[in-house]
Parts: sequence; structure tokens; C-alpha cells
Amino acid sequence: MIASGVQGNSIMIDRKEASAALSDINDMVRRVRQSRIYDLASQFMVVAGVFVIAGNLATYIAPRYALYIWPSINVLTIVVSGVVSTFDSRRTGLRSFDFRVFVAFVLFYAFGLLCTGVLGHFGPRQMGTFWPIYFMLFYCIAGLWFGRALIYIGLGITVLTLIGYFFITTDLFLIWMAMVNGGGLILSGLWMRWGE
Amino acid sequence: MAELDDVIHQPLRLRIMAALNALPVSIGLEFSRLKKLTGATDGNLGAHIETLARAGYVAVDKAFVGKKPQTTVTATATGRGAFARHVATLQEIIAASEGDQ
Repeated sequence: MIASGVQGNSIMIDRKEASAALSDINDMVRRVRQSRIYDLASQFMVVAGVFVIAGNLATYIAPRYALYIWPSINVLTIVVSGVVSTFDSRRTGLRSFDFRVFVAFVLFYAFGLLCTGVLGHFGPRQMGTFWPIYFMLFYCIAGLWFGRALIYIGLGITVLTLIGYFFITTDLFLIWMAMVNGGGLILSGLWMRWGE
Repeated sequence: MAELDDVIHQPLRLRIMAALNALPVSIGLEFSRLKKLTGATDGNLGAHIETLARAGYVAVDKAFVGKKPQTTVTATATGRGAFARHVATLQEIIAASEGDQ
């Protein structure tokens, strides 16, 4: 077909125009998919951010209970993420939290505990640095597939965490972590939701 | 060869239909989200959604979320069918021209 335009009631287009239209369609599908992934990721980030702030502040106030605070925080993060995702799936039609996601969380924490408690005997500061960086590693990896925003967020929070580790040597490190890790996650989540 | 759908063929309407068809059945997109995705202005997007709604390709649902009005656009079964045929026709045009070469 070489003609381009409208003939009678039917539209005539050539190969180039058809290719352009298909490419436009693929681009929209990619954008919608990314938008839905960002939407979901932003919810998880806001939930995780709130709990990270709570965990760091609680540890700052009662450092002796850190051993109870952080496992509780992690369990709560998983449970609330699951609940939020279930409610949101009615709006988006996307079921994001299933058994595989739960297993992924379990493996994530199991490997982290193996590194921090068995292979290496990390102190509170090392724990407070390792977990956010470990978490952000997965953001960066996910970003390679699902959008650069996740890479920027992962790298940004990692750098800020390391700055805190090397330069804030007092207990204020926990406040710093509440701000840059917890606050960073919340702000990044909101940015992904409204700024994409 | 099947004919192209002249309602869907217009570039912005094609993008709207592509976006809505990328979602599961009965799930829609808010007007503001659709505007961001397509890069259209309010007036332009509204006019083209109306054209698609008149053709029965999309359903427009206006509701209040809190005190804010929210318009959600969803592809209908007719719209999904028409879009699938339109895409198939585009693919046929490309395949036919490859055969000619």
C-alpha cells in the first residue's frame, strides 16, 4: 500500500505510518506499565519509610530494645505492605503481593541475618548501615528493569547512609538514618507517585 | 485486508486507547494520569475522550473522591475489540508491504 490519506470512508496509510503507529502503541504500553510499577513501588516506599523512621527513633530512645524493635519493624513492614497492596489491587487490578513476594522477603531477611549475625558479627552501627544499603541494592537492581528513578533513589540513600556511617560517630547516627533512610523513602515514594 | 478504524486512527485517540488497553479489563485510568501519559492538554484530551465515548469505545465515570471530582476512563469491550482489530490491520499493512518488496 503506497497511498496515504482517506479514500472514500477508508483510511489508507503506508508501511512507514503503520510502523510509526505501532511504535506509538508500544511506547504507551511501556509508559503505562512503568507508571503502574512506580505507583506500587511508591506505596511500599512510603510504608517502609514510616516504619524505618519509627524504628530508628525507637532505637534512639531505647537502644537496649533494638533486638526486639527491628524484627517487629520488619514484620510490620511486610504485613502492612501486604494489606495496602491487597486494598489497592481493587483500584489497579494488579496483585503485587503474593506468596512469591512473601518468600522473596523471607529470603532477603534470611540472607541479611546470615551476613550480619553468622558470617560477620555486626555491631549496632554496622547493622544500621548494612540493612539500608542492602535494601537499596535491590532498588538499584530493580531499577535496571523498571525505571531509572529506582536507581537514583537507591544510590542516593546509599551515599547518604555511608556519609552518616563515616562522619556521624555519636548516637545521632540513628536520627540521621531516620531522616535520610526513612524520610528519603517517603519523599522518594511521593515523588514517584506524583512526579512521574 | 481489514480497514483501519477512523475513530482510533487519530494519534491522540490511538495513544488513549493504547494506554487503556494496557490495563486489565474493567480497570480504568484517571483523567490526570491519562493526561500525563499522553502529554495532551485538558481540552484536547477531553474532546478526544468524548469522541471515543460517543463511539462506545470508552466509558467515562465521574465521581467525587473526598471533595475532589475525579474522572476515570475505561476501555469498553467494544473498544478493546476495535483496538485489537486496528492493531491487527496495522500489522497486516506492514506484513503486506514486506511481501511486496
